[in-house]
Amino acid sequence: MRLVRPMLLACLAVLALWPAAAPAEIVRQSYALPAGGGSPHDVAVGPDGIVWYTAQRNGALGRLDPATGKVDLIPLGAGAAPHGVIIGPDGAPWVTEGGTNAIVRVDAKTREVTRWPLPEARGYVNLNTATFDKQGRIWFTGQNGVYGRLDPKSGAMQVWDAPRGRGPYGIATTPDGAVYYASLAGSHIARVDVETGAATIIEPPTKNQGARRVWSDSRGQIWVSEWNSGQVSRYDPRTVAWKSWRLPGDRPQAYAVFVDDEDKVWLSEWSANAMVRFDPQTERFEVFPSDRRGANVRQILGRPGEVWVPESGVDRLVVFRRK
Amino acid sequence: MIRAAAGGLVLLALLASSLPPAAADPIRGERVFQRCYACHSVATEEEHLPGPSLGCVLGRRAGTRPGFAFSPAMVEAGTARGLVWTRATLDAFLVDTQHLVPGTTMWIPGLTAPEDRRDVMDYLERTGPCPAEAAPSAIRP
Repeated sequence: MRLVRPMLLACLAVLALWPAAAPAEIVRQSYALPAGGGSPHDVAVGPDGIVWYTAQRNGALGRLDPATGKVDLIPLGAGAAPHGVIIGPDGAPWVTEGGTNAIVRVDAKTREVTRWPLPEARGYVNLNTATFDKQGRIWFTGQNGVYGRLDPKSGAMQVWDAPRGRGPYGIATTPDGAVYYASLAGSHIARVDVETGAATIIEPPTKNQGARRVWSDSRGQIWVSEWNSGQVSRYDPRTVAWKSWRLPGDRPQAYAVFVDDEDKVWLSEWSANAMVRFDPQTERFEVFPSDRRGANVRQILGRPGEVWVPESGVDRLVVFRRK
Repeated sequence: MIRAAAGGLVLLALLASSLPPAAADPIRGERVFQRCYACHSVATEEEHLPGPSLGCVLGRRAGTRPGFAFSPAMVEAGTARGLVWTRATLDAFLVDTQHLVPGTTMWIPGLTAPEDRRDVMDYLERTGPCPAEAAPSAIRP
């Protein structure tokens, strides 16, 4: 689909420091999003530093240039309600377009929008998140109980029923190319055989923990944010051992997880309206409360030295930069 | 009763009255419910989903289903602002969850087609059995 004329909107970049909570090596900066291009659900930053986000309630993909604070909006078409965005090996943003049940690529330069609809027979699957494997194929989850694979070169798409039905949510690839997803409703994680497509369930030790998102550290260990239990858990595929840590607070709710280039684990914690950084070496948490009520961070992504979060409830993108 | 009391009521009434005439289509409503299915069930015994069971939701005070950990915003809407799920309030919620209950965890693009909202409510209304205190027949707007 051809790009509809992009909207060019300036946004105000606000440098905001929270010295009471932030360690000295972390600087936080927030970017307010323009009306009609807010409600950021997911965010992704490319190697060039350009930040893409899904403006879910506006049916658009947003592009932020952090150097200038300028925001462009790329409409994704009638009925669009994009959920996830990641940067592909081609440098382009790839979107799990939940509103129209399609995988969407937006060319980073021309902004041309290309769509791969799911098979009609599958019906509405509630597309959630995506990840690329080492062969350049994009894997995706559908919360209504599916996961799938698209080979952009051939256009071939396969969709599988998840082993326990509804729930597939976050999905990630390890450094050695393994793909794992989390099932929120199913309270488990699963490893996907990237050749056969078969998913093998891996049970976390805590019952009904609400595994929401997954991410891999540099050693291929899988980190899981648990919405119901308020824990972060680690699964080591080599030893098949689990270890869990409860986040600070009375009733923590861990929504998103991301492991940075120093193998520090970042989580969004809703009951405290905060970002949390966990150091697996010291087993200590650091808490970074938002300065805005109801930030509601639903996903985290970064690049070396930067961790980006979309504050979906207050229409901001926030970056944590390491000095 | 919600937020801007009188103005809100008028708006809700207008929304309700603008709906197409009730033509029960729970089968189509079940298809529309696929938009809700990832987080909600209509089976009252199905627990541990991201959202509460919607069995017998019509007539229930917001944020009060036993055993489910609602967001503070939803609890406050039900207790402090008196939000009860009727066809009118649910219709407004399905259009824009954040407008009716600012800060609710539920975050969906919204069901913009009136017939989708009508049919999914027909479907919800016909899922039972419901306990007497939550009987849908008692809570039509």
